[in-house]
Amino acid sequence: MAKKIYDVIVIGTGAGGGMAIKTLCEAGLKVCALNAGRRLDPEKDFRYHRMPWDMKFRGLDDPKRRGESFGYMDNEYTKAAWDHEIPFTVAPGTKWMWPRCNAVGGKTNFWGRSSARFGDIDLRAASLDGYDVDWPLSYDEIDPFYTRVEKMIGVASTVQNRPSNPDGSYLPPFKFRCLDFILQAGCNKVGVPYLPDRCAQLTQPHEGHPACHFCGECTTGCDIGAFFSTPYFLLPKAEATKNLELRTNALAKNVLVDENGQASGVAYIDRQTKQEVEVYGRAVVVAASCIESARVMLNSKSRQWPHGIANSSGQLGRNLCDHLYGESARGYLPQLLGQPSFPDHVGDSTIAWMPRWQNLKAPHEEKFIRGYSVYPDGGCEEFPGFATDMDGFGSSLKREIKRRYPSPVSFGIQAPSLRSETNYMDLDPEVKDPYGIPVARMHFEWDENVLKMWEHSKQVCAEVLRAAGGELEGSGEAPEIPGWSLHETGTCRMGNDPKKFVTNRFGQTHDVPNLYVCDASVFLNCTDKTTTISILAFSLRTSERLIENFRQGEHRAA
Amino acid sequence: MAGQGIGRREVLRILGTAAAAAQFPGFSKWGFACGHIGNAALQIKPAVYRPQFFNAAEYAMVERLTEIIIPNDGTPGAKEAGVAEFIDFMVANDPLTQYEFRMGLTWLEAHSEQRAGKRFVELTPEQQTSLLEPLGFKDKARPGEETGRGFFRMMREYTVTGFYTSAIGFKALDNPALKFYAESPECPHKGDPEHLHLPQAGV
Repeated sequence: MAKKIYDVIVIGTGAGGGMAIKTLCEAGLKVCALNAGRRLDPEKDFRYHRMPWDMKFRGLDDPKRRGESFGYMDNEYTKAAWDHEIPFTVAPGTKWMWPRCNAVGGKTNFWGRSSARFGDIDLRAASLDGYDVDWPLSYDEIDPFYTRVEKMIGVASTVQNRPSNPDGSYLPPFKFRCLDFILQAGCNKVGVPYLPDRCAQLTQPHEGHPACHFCGECTTGCDIGAFFSTPYFLLPKAEATKNLELRTNALAKNVLVDENGQASGVAYIDRQTKQEVEVYGRAVVVAASCIESARVMLNSKSRQWPHGIANSSGQLGRNLCDHLYGESARGYLPQLLGQPSFPDHVGDSTIAWMPRWQNLKAPHEEKFIRGYSVYPDGGCEEFPGFATDMDGFGSSLKREIKRRYPSPVSFGIQAPSLRSETNYMDLDPEVKDPYGIPVARMHFEWDENVLKMWEHSKQVCAEVLRAAGGELEGSGEAPEIPGWSLHETGTCRMGNDPKKFVTNRFGQTHDVPNLYVCDASVFLNCTDKTTTISILAFSLRTSERLIENFRQGEHRAA
Repeated sequence: MAGQGIGRREVLRILGTAAAAAQFPGFSKWGFACGHIGNAALQIKPAVYRPQFFNAAEYAMVERLTEIIIPNDGTPGAKEAGVAEFIDFMVANDPLTQYEFRMGLTWLEAHSEQRAGKRFVELTPEQQTSLLEPLGFKDKARPGEETGRGFFRMMREYTVTGFYTSAIGFKALDNPALKFYAESPECPHKGDPEHLHLPQAGV
């Protein structure tokens, strides 16, 4: 029997892979998608409004698992969706946390939903401040893709006319809570913005998806699909075309090549049978998320590509950037002490933001280049975290916890690291995963510029809190360790020069024209915005380029 | 809209909860503390809780300490919420904390014998409180009791966590989490954005 050849093999079903799968299937291409883990069943695998006391460890997770959990999203409710089997290593001096969701839909199942567009100020940052290089496209070119993505997924926000944040078309925003009005007044006094966030969460029914019911447990998985995730928004559309074959528990190992060094398919491990399986296609899309995509490509060694497929530039795995996260300030608002409790946590923290306000008039106003954003949060939360730090005991403690319950606030920074020669990933020469595949080895440290932003944010947020009439209690002693944000970018950067960049301006690899990359690894850097909506927009653009190349005969249809 | 789905799912959830709760061995108060409002099917039958980690003397101390930290002062406290069961269960599953808890209890017992000539649980409530105040209140701290203060801090952290993750604790705070709202809830005091003129709640 002749071997089956698909039009396209897509590795990964997260934001990038999901968008590629939908777009390609709707164009009539036959797609085989590989996903490292299983499908989730919302009724079994999501939190499903279970109260803490419905869970064995009150949602706090089995203490014995302390060493293997990979971050705030990986908890007693969602742990089955995260990958704990594939190890990674760190170079001496590097700290790295690498949460990987192996379930179908990847991290979109649990993501934070903040959805700001990149702007010209981001894409042309190098021209403005002289550091690194510009993106190989202008904002005008990506703008229509953002518009289409926003229509597809639904983003709640307002038009804000901020120089760093192009506006789109939005659903009605989340309404401000008490703490938002108070902090906004403080921000006004200090002269920094406080606005509704761009949140991919449906404040009204949208394109056949139900509206949010504001229960506030988004990051443990939405049981009705009221925020964007591939399993609710993209895969059903792809499956409706009958052009999709989705293989689960299929851990991509390497891209296969033909005698000319072009991509001919993918070898993967069937995690249930532990067998290696090959699947063939006329084109391959890698969208396994930044580090895993680079790992698969670096592991795709052949006679033609001894250093990994499409790596003649030597840049594969390099130029890694990540968002620095941390608590810039925390405290409480005395105005709210003793007030009745109020549902403050319904947006699960993405109701408001303080979008980048630094270096907007001129690129060198501050002691650092570029800029950061801040996410404020607080109020009545599911568990009053402040309570464990309080003094005393007895009735006075019980009363004080109740009194303080509506009042806590905190500020979380999101700041971009700068591209550097010393931040990258490669393959560990010795350590292999349980299937014998070399694991990723991380080399990463926060740069001086991003650490200046961190110091700056602590000072400004403290000032905002005081101006709002709040009491400052402190800040994080240090930023979170790298990897925590899940926003890594840059291992397969896009650019026009094949000697310096892995892919061209469309996410098509320079060396291997039928190999495309559809995730944040093509991004030049990570900006002050989150990555998901941009992954969707760039993946849509790359996928349409791929379809066009099929039409032009560059890749033959099966 | 979501309404229909939620209704169906609520039923499934409640059924699931009963099944899940039944897997936990021998909780006596947890079930009571966690019973869903108006759902008798979820009231797990009281049994005598058999501690999984602490011995009987230790468990009595733990239970008494939780009760002192979050007392019943007109509204239910840690004892009614079964916080001692929660702590025993967590510590039994957490080898890294077992030594600290055991050491702390031993320290407290010795401290009690030394200061008051009796075991901790045999002291009067007033004696217990005065023994614990230097451990629990920063401004009453005494030198030489660092071990006890560290232990008390840990005990308070576990007690607070256990209490406010129980149904009784949710009720104590009027916790608005995990409910359903037709619209994004909005601040009710928009005329006073800085919230400088709110009616003072009676606490």
